[in-house]
Amino acid sequence: MQNIPVYSEWEMPISEIADKAKEARKLIIDMAATPTGCHIGGSLSVIDLLVVALAKYGHDPNSSVILSKGHAAAALYASLYVYGRLSSNPAESYGKQGSLYTGHPNHKLPGIPFATGSLGHGVAYAAGWALAQKLKGTGGLGIVIGGDGELQEGLCWETAQIAQAQSLSNFVYIIDCNGGQNDGMIEDISPIRNVKERFKAFGFAVKEIDGHRHEDIFEAIAPDRDKPLAILARTIKGKGVAALEGHPDSHYAKIPANLAKRWKVSLT
Amino acid sequence: MTVLLSGRDAYKDELANLAETEGRIICLETDLGGKNHPFQKRHPERFLNLGIAELAGVDIAAGLAEAGYVPFISTFAAFAALRASESVKLSMGYMGKNVKVVAAYGGVSGGWFGTTHHALEDIAVMQSFQNIRIACPHGEEETRRVIREAAASAEPYYIRLSRNDKFDSLYRSSDSSCRELLIEDGKLTKSLSQLCLISVGEQATELCKELAKEYESITHAHACYVDSQILQTYVEPLKALSNRFLVVEEHRATGGTASYLALLMPKHQVYSHSCGDQWPTYGGSHTEVLADLGFGLEPLRRQIQTILGGTDGI
Repeated sequence: MQNIPVYSEWEMPISEIADKAKEARKLIIDMAATPTGCHIGGSLSVIDLLVVALAKYGHDPNSSVILSKGHAAAALYASLYVYGRLSSNPAESYGKQGSLYTGHPNHKLPGIPFATGSLGHGVAYAAGWALAQKLKGTGGLGIVIGGDGELQEGLCWETAQIAQAQSLSNFVYIIDCNGGQNDGMIEDISPIRNVKERFKAFGFAVKEIDGHRHEDIFEAIAPDRDKPLAILARTIKGKGVAALEGHPDSHYAKIPANLAKRWKVSLT
Repeated sequence: MTVLLSGRDAYKDELANLAETEGRIICLETDLGGKNHPFQKRHPERFLNLGIAELAGVDIAAGLAEAGYVPFISTFAAFAALRASESVKLSMGYMGKNVKVVAAYGGVSGGWFGTTHHALEDIAVMQSFQNIRIACPHGEEETRRVIREAAASAEPYYIRLSRNDKFDSLYRSSDSSCRELLIEDGKLTKSLSQLCLISVGEQATELCKELAKEYESITHAHACYVDSQILQTYVEPLKALSNRFLVVEEHRATGGTASYLALLMPKHQVYSHSCGDQWPTYGGSHTEVLADLGFGLEPLRRQIQTILGGTDGI
């Protein structure tokens, strides 16, 4: 019998991480079925990255996992909820008056140290966290999950410049490469050429992975020994819902409850 | 004889002193700290020049603060308040991260460097972000005190300094905080004065010192902190001084200290001696650029006379 690999400090088998991801996807769909709707396409593309990063480092007090593409807040809330970090179901009050579940990550919630969504800031914040851990010698990581559209923000590159200059080998920059942005596809709006080479030129180690394969994500998220690390995670916008997958219009959706029910049943 | 330091140099020296006993202090520069930085010499392991990256620098400082450090990040006021303003708003204002921004070259202290390096809008920008303490110290001693207060506080700070001018600070008792309004010596009377000058920043305070000496009937109150929350604490002490106030501030009138005090004291007359609405276009020293903008001793004297009804009114 094949041994089940252990993928976190709290000994979660990879099969369980897959279950968590599926559970989180259902919550994201539920948030799309609220009166406000949510950024469903990017949330479904990034969720596997989030559930693995949080499984591996979410309980390490010296490491910090930041979602910089904050419009995918539904994915962050969902992943924190399925791990028990949030006590209330985000889909029940998402976007409602008096709810802390706002459309971009709310730092008043447990597990969210920094409010993001104005793009690029989470990248620099995570670099600051990594710098602090380096100064303290804790071995902790600053892990940021950003978007490929977000790379159009100069702040990302300003931070990359500093990360290499400060030799932040404990800085991990995961990029959810789903190819989309608010108004359409990146390729049609402001194509980002040679991303891998760009990061290498900035002094990063670079890994390219399938951003939906949990084993690959887990193996990739490890600090490089002498360089900051960029992980280019190839993902599909709207992953898991056939009607949304790869569709530029899946960026934001507000759907009826019966459709949400069908989509949840159809999740693979 | 002790050599007087400019506010900018006093900041560097005082922070290096504090870091002797406070291991959490980190000194960040964005390539405008100059060579021979005393903090770098004394604590090289906690001194980081991040390069020309103000926006990322403030967010990086927020990450350091979250991890328990007390980061001081310094750059020119124009870049701290304007280029990095979104980071300041989010990290410091909204999230209250314990970051201290030390902004040199406030106002037009850059002189001949030109408008790109001037900051006549910074207080307005910062004042609109709630929860950030804004200090505009005058002279070496007050600057040192503000740095100590900032280091001891868990609140985010914006500390506006000038360039290289050196001034003796007004006397303040050792047990009083710079958050308290400072009334210049010998000017407290039982009755309300005809006019109270309120000085903010170095050049303004020097002007007010001069004119308060000249006119017996004028009081001079020096405001070191000018954020909206601390300005509220000045209202009652100010009302005890006069019914008329003239705020002297190296800033635009829009969004300046005078405009906020006018909101806080709707039944009082609050005037402003500021740098007006013009863009500083011409070269010259700090004082010369101010003069081009109508800010200086003579224009201020004329304004006082106008407020008080001409020379006969004084």
